[in-house]
This record gives sequence, C-alpha cells and structure tokens, in this order.
Amino acid sequence: MSAGGSDGTADRPADQAAEEEEGPSQAGSAMPSVELPRKRKGEVEERQILNFNLEDDLCRSEEEDQQVKMKCFREPHRQIEKRRRDKMNNLIDELSAMIPACQPMARKLDKLTVLRKAVQHLKALKAGASGAFTDTKHKPSILPQDELRHLLLRAADGFLLVVRCDRAKMLFISESVSKILNFSKLELTGQSLFDFIHPKDIHKVKEQLSSSEMLPQQRLVDASTGVQVQADAHVRPSHLATGARRSFFCRMKHSRVTGKHEDKHSLPGVSKKKETYRYCTLHCIGYMRTWPSSQLDPEADCTDKETSSLNCLVTVCRLHPPVSHQPPKDVNIKATEFVTRCAIDGKFTFVDQQATTVIGYLPQEVLGTSCYEYFHQDDLQHLAGKHRQVLRSKEKVETQCYKFKTKHGSYVMLQSQWFSFTNPWTKEVEFIVSSNKVVSGPGNAKDESEAGSSTLAHEEAKQILEIPGLSTGVGMMIYAGSIGTQIANELGDTYRANSSPSSEASSPFGSVQEKCPLTSRSTSSREEEAGSSSHSQSLADSSKEASGSSEAECRGESSQLDLDVPGLSSFSSDEAAMAVIMSLLDSDVNMGQSGDFEDLHWPF
Amino acid sequence: MTADKEKRRAISREAARRRRRVESDVFGDLSRLLPLQASVRAHLDKPSIIRLTLSFIRMQALLRETESAGCNAEAGHAVRFPRGVEAGEGRLFESETEEIAPLDETKMYLKILEGFLMVLSTTGDMIFLSDNVSKYMGLSQQTELMGHNIFEYTHPCDHEEIRHNLRLTAELGCSQKRDFVMRIKSALTHRGRVGNLKSTTWKVLHCQGRVKLCVASSSVSCLLLTCRPLPLSHTLLSTHTFTSQHGMDMRFTYCDQRVTSLLGYRPEELLGRSIYDLCHTLDTSCLNKNHLNLCLKSQSVSGQYRMLVRSGGYVWVESHSAVIPGVQPSRSRPNPSQPLCILSVTYVLSGVEEPSLQLSLDQTFPRYPR
Repeated sequence: MSAGGSDGTADRPADQAAEEEEGPSQAGSAMPSVELPRKRKGEVEERQILNFNLEDDLCRSEEEDQQVKMKCFREPHRQIEKRRRDKMNNLIDELSAMIPACQPMARKLDKLTVLRKAVQHLKALKAGASGAFTDTKHKPSILPQDELRHLLLRAADGFLLVVRCDRAKMLFISESVSKILNFSKLELTGQSLFDFIHPKDIHKVKEQLSSSEMLPQQRLVDASTGVQVQADAHVRPSHLATGARRSFFCRMKHSRVTGKHEDKHSLPGVSKKKETYRYCTLHCIGYMRTWPSSQLDPEADCTDKETSSLNCLVTVCRLHPPVSHQPPKDVNIKATEFVTRCAIDGKFTFVDQQATTVIGYLPQEVLGTSCYEYFHQDDLQHLAGKHRQVLRSKEKVETQCYKFKTKHGSYVMLQSQWFSFTNPWTKEVEFIVSSNKVVSGPGNAKDESEAGSSTLAHEEAKQILEIPGLSTGVGMMIYAGSIGTQIANELGDTYRANSSPSSEASSPFGSVQEKCPLTSRSTSSREEEAGSSSHSQSLADSSKEASGSSEAECRGESSQLDLDVPGLSSFSSDEAAMAVIMSLLDSDVNMGQSGDFEDLHWPF
Repeated sequence: MTADKEKRRAISREAARRRRRVESDVFGDLSRLLPLQASVRAHLDKPSIIRLTLSFIRMQALLRETESAGCNAEAGHAVRFPRGVEAGEGRLFESETEEIAPLDETKMYLKILEGFLMVLSTTGDMIFLSDNVSKYMGLSQQTELMGHNIFEYTHPCDHEEIRHNLRLTAELGCSQKRDFVMRIKSALTHRGRVGNLKSTTWKVLHCQGRVKLCVASSSVSCLLLTCRPLPLSHTLLSTHTFTSQHGMDMRFTYCDQRVTSLLGYRPEELLGRSIYDLCHTLDTSCLNKNHLNLCLKSQSVSGQYRMLVRSGGYVWVESHSAVIPGVQPSRSRPNPSQPLCILSVTYVLSGVEEPSLQLSLDQTFPRYPR
C-alpha cells in the first residue's frame, strides 16, 4: 500500500472491509441461481458456500489483497483508494447527520470539523448519561447492561420466570410480565404457577418441572442422522443441575383489564370476579438451576430446610406471536362466507363449518362429492372454464355469480374466489381453495324448476350443456361429476407433456444438485393420467361417430388434448367445451352411434 | 526550477503530514471517549471508530426516545430490582436481589435465549449487537460487525425479505412485530471454534422482535431483534410433541407413534399423505411459507396452525423443521447421495377444539378396528 503514505497502515483493515463489502454484491451478480446449501456431506452444521466466487471474495488475507485484486479484478489501485475515500465520506456524512451541532449548517462541513464536533458531543453525552460510563461492574460496552436487558425483553416480548420445581411456586418474575400478561409482578410472585396455567397444560408443565425419576425418557433427535436416540432412562439427579435445557409451549392466563394492577397494595389472590381471563400461548425456553433454598424462599417451612438446595426452572417466556390467528391475507372470511378445499377434479376434501348455514349440508354430507353436482346447469360451462383457468394460473380466479344447490333443493347465489395451491417443491397443483360468499338469498321455487329441462326452449345452441331429454337429476349428477374429472385429466396431460426437462429448468430450485424426482406424481393425477390416455383414445374414436358440425372440432380438439399442449388454453372457448362435453357423453354412454340424443337412456 | 518544485513538494508533504497527524489525534480522542475495552480500542481503524461512534450516539438517542415517548413506562429504572418497601414483601425482594443480581441477569437472558440481540436501522445498519454475537458468528462484535450493514453478511437471496421487514409502516403503535428467518455468515468451524474468513458458512437465524419507532427523527427508528440460530437437534420430552419425516414435497415418509395419541392417526395412515391435506385450509399460506423457507433456507419455524384430528375437530400446533439427508432409522451414517428429506418436530399447543366437527374427507371415514 505504497500510495497511502503514513496512514496507510491504519487504513488497511478498512480496505479489507471495503473489499469484503463489495464481495457479496459482486458475487450476487455473478452467482448462478443457487439457493440450497450444498452441504449434505457429513456434519449438517458445516455449511460450505456453494458459490466459489463468493468464497473467493471472502478469503482474502491482507497481503494477498493487492495481488489477487490485480489478478482477478484487474482494478487500478486508484479505484480502491477512491472507494475507501467514498466510504469514509459516507461515514462522515452519517456522523454529521447524527450530531445536533452539525445540523443547522448550510454547507457541508469538512471532515475535521465534524470529527471535532463529534468529540464535543460525546463529552456532553458522557456528562449526562448514566450507565455506559459509570457501570464499573461490567466491562465497558456501547450499551449499558441494564439497558441491554431492557431492550432484550422488549425485543423478545417476554419475561423472566424462576419457578421452584417441587411446588411450582413462582419465585421471581421480571417487571415485563405486566406488559404481557397484564398482571403485575407483585400479583404473581409467590403464587403457584399452576394457578395461572391453562388446565389442560398443567400436566405438560408438571412434566417439565419434574425430577429425573418421574421424567419420561428423553428423546433426542440427532438431526445430522435423523435418528432418534433414546437417552439413558436412569438419569442422575445431577441432570437437574445447571444446564439441562427445557423448551416448551404453554398457555397462561392474562387479564383483559389493564390499569387495575398498578396498585402496589392490591394483594395477590383476591378474586377478581368482574374480569375475565383469556389465555395466551407462551414459548418457554430455559434451563434448570440449583440454588440454596434459604436465600431464595425464606417463607419455606422447616421441612424444606433439610434439602439445602432448591431446584428451579429459570425460563424466559416469550409471547408467541399469533400470526396465523389472523386470517391469511389471501382468504378473507366473513360471516356469510365459507371456505372449501377441493381436489383438482373438483371433489370436496375440506368444508368449513360455516358452510352449513349457507348451503344447509353438513360438511360430511358434502365431502367426497364433486362440486359440479351442486352447480346449476346454466353455470356449468362458465364454472368449468374457470376451473380450467385456475389450474393453470397462479392468480386468484373470480367466478361470476352462480347458483349452488342447497340441501333443501333450492339454490343460493354464490360468488367465489378460487386459488390453486401449487406444491413449492414439485410445482404441481395439489388442490384448489375456494372462498365462497353469498350474493343474494336462497333461490325460490322458480329456480328449482329450472333444474329440469324446461329451459331448453329458450336456450340457444350456445347453451351447449343442455342435454335434450335429460330430466333426471341422477343422470345429471353422473355427467356433472365427470366434468371435473376430465378437467383434472387435462391437467395431468399438461404435466406429462411438460415433464422432466422443462420443469426442472423452470423450478427456482433448478440448481438442486440432488436428483429429486417429481415424487408427487403419485397423486390422483397419476391414475387419471393413465386413465386419460385411454380416455382420449376413446374420445378420438367415438368422435368419429358423432354427427353434426361438432365432429371435426371433436377430432381436432381431442387430438389437441394429446399432442398440442398450447392448444389447451383454447379450451375455454364454447366450441371446445362443447366438444369435450360431447365426447364425454359418448364415452360415458359408450354409444358410438349417431349423435341423436333424443331418446338417451341413462343406465339408471 | 526543479529545486523550487522540490521545495514546494516538500512543503505540501509536510502540510499533509501535519493534517494527517491532527486528524489521527482527533480520532484518538474520539476512541478514548467511547466505552470500549482497552484491547479493542487499540486495534480500531478509523472507519470503525466512526462506526462505533455512530452506534453509541444512535443508541443514546434511542434510549432517550424510549423514556420520553413513554412507550415503555419502565424505561430506565424498572429493570433494577425495587428495593422493597413493605415489610413482608420487602424481605422477598431483598433476598432475590442478593441472589440473582450478582448472577448477571443480562447474561442469563442471553444464555437462556441462546441468541444475541441486534438493533437494526431502517437502512440495515447493525447499530448494536450484544457481545455474545461472536459466539454465533465467529466475528468480533465491535471491530468487525458493529456499524456495518447487514446486507454484507447475509445471503443475497434473503435480502429482499430483510428489506421487506425493515420497512416501517405508518402506524405509530408500539407493537409492530417481526418474525422471519435469514441466513447469515458464520466464521465458526463446525466444532465451534473461530475459523478464518476462508471457512465462512451460512447459519440460519430465526429473528424475532419489534419495531422501535422514533417520532422525532426517523433515522433513529430501528428494529429490535433477538436472533437465535435454529437448533438442529431437539431435546424432547415425551408428551405433546411428535416427530415426523417428509419428502421435500411435504408428504409423510415417517411419523412417530405419538401422533396416534395426539391426533388419532396411525403412522401408517399418514405415509404418502401431504401435510397440506391434514391441515385446516385457512392455514395453507402459513404452511406454504414454512415449506418455502425449508426449500430455500433449509430450516424453518412455522407459525401456529391447525392440524385436523382424525375423529373430528383440530388442534393448534407449531412445527420446527429442518432439511437433512434422508435416512432410514436403522442406518446411522447418512449416505451423501441420498435424497434430502425434511425432519419436523411438532409441538401440540392446544387441546382438541370442536371435536365433533368434521371438516375434511379424512375425518368422515369410519375407523376400522385393528
């Protein structure tokens, strides 16, 4: 570092820092899309950095800096100097921003002045401040111990609790408990812990406090091998000495009423009938510790004095943020709304209990059946289109208003948002989540009659789903259920067509070195795939016999089903839908005859 | 001519030297004013001195803001044990104070939490770190870390998420919580010794905390976070937890017997099932985030979510998971060429809620006697 002059030495570590700084950013740009640590050889804790560029940037020792820089980056020395100066200037600017004396200056102050003002400022702070300079017990630190402790508890949203193991008496609680449980420290100290724990968790907490004899076998899971190792069942009493860790969740009471507990004179234990208690979940982490009993609990009676030491649990109880209690942002549920989950073929696999108030059915009555069985005939086409759309899109799909058949035969007007969930690893759709809301009241008798064939008269060929002569509800159910299956089959074909090369490239984990096959093909889509190939064959066959203008389209479309993947997107058109439905009919009925459906007989 | 030039150069060199000396002196003054250990002070370079000065000033401003805002009523004094006044209670307090205070309560907290405290500015500067950070990162708190920017030390792919968490929202309430997982550099060898920079690896940290808003000047607003490395091995006690192994797509490949008493499923019933099927639909996004964290960062803590109980209803649970090389329970040494799998420890938090409710298809199937 010849150019640096006499202060070159002092600045060298800064240079190194500068180079380290730019290391990651350079590496960031040079780095391939590697996310997963490639670390699975041997110890799990040892993580090697994948990107060797990044590693190189970090590995500089000072002497090598120059050389390697010249070799690898070919940067002139003045660039390094410039960066160093820039960094220093930035720091000086930040410093002047933080010093009140520097604020009102119109022009930018020079380096030396800022530094001098900083010195003055520190002197002033030292005169006024307390802990940092007067705390002689601990080693000097930017933040005095007390403040550090305070900040910690704020950040952790927790309180310290020391509890006797044998009696569960709370020996010490930090002040911060008042923020979390709304009880003052006074009210809790000396009380039994079990008075404040949710009744169902008492057993769990007792276990955590209990001595080694009562302790069930500790099971250690060694994550490097995934093997469960049974610890020795006969654990020595010294196991309870400092070090034995505890980590558990429990629910503790917290009082809803604030402000009443500030009064230091209120005795703990007075019943507060007017207040209701709710429970909040706490994550308790800590360890066991032994203390001389006489100092800790002077109220202990004589028999205790025999045991000279008390086993206590020292734990920090953190309020567990109930993040998932809030409804997830993408699914908002109100009273007249309910949520359902369907497999990709439209069969209900989850129905939330609020559905009953809307559709009349209990969840178990609906589970396992296809959603198409409840859709009104008029809406089938539009909903089938949406079904296809949602399976191929990452976005939420909104349906128009549609009728849903309730238990009592009437229809209720719903509008839904559908969202297909894709497994982040396999990138395949696993299920569809639907949040449904009521748009208007249940349908009246007029709606009911439409379920039959009476609408045939005023429906155009556009309403391709009208099956002339179809009047039995049972028949329609069979037919409707197939729609979902067919749509699911199409998706299976898409996956097959898109499999191996393209899907690995599209995955953000594409760099995954492990050969992780798309294992989730073992879903129902596999069966449908197998089924669909023969299915499409029969489609192609039977479409020959289908009369009418749809014939050509049928054949064309069904060949698209097999071969032309981009053509799948055109399935949302009327003709395509018609073709599919027609071919469905053919295959279901297994007719291979003319397309005259007047006297269609369903096998029921 | 040249002699003149030489003289002028000599003069300017002398002037420069003088300037540099003055500057060094001021830097020296500054470093002596900072509450630092002597050994640390001796090795500070100029940028570090400025960084530490900045940290000090910011922390002082933060603490002053804390007191004045009244957000925390107990700001300066409450962490000290009250020297009890009433007769009966006084004794208890005093005895506690004697016993616990010398134990260095702060160190106790840090030891219990198994993590360190980080104060982050809105631009990502690590204004303050508790000194046990060297235990986790292998880098020295004061010279190498304090005042630097967190983006220099974290995995590039996590930067977006960190930036998102640094954003302050407009509301002035005291309780903006943060909870996320990120990967940070660690210069520790796997034995726990401090290696040099050649051996930096990524460590997964679970960061939880809150925003500390400063009304007066937004540059003082910051994030208070406790950062704990996610443990890779757990000490379990028997009830209310169970372990499970999953493929990378979250389908069960193994589940221990506990699940039967907690959720009613037999382990065999679960193999090959996706965890998404077994949980309440509204928790899909929570599980999704957990899954993504696992795929990207290899470790994760889910939030609280609901798992459906076999016979009806659900329980609230929380899972701590990690990606490990897949093993059969009988083998003790993992084969490097084995596929990855996810190991999950699930804590059951609540009792069975709404046991008569059947929400999913699984719950409708009658149990067959064994």
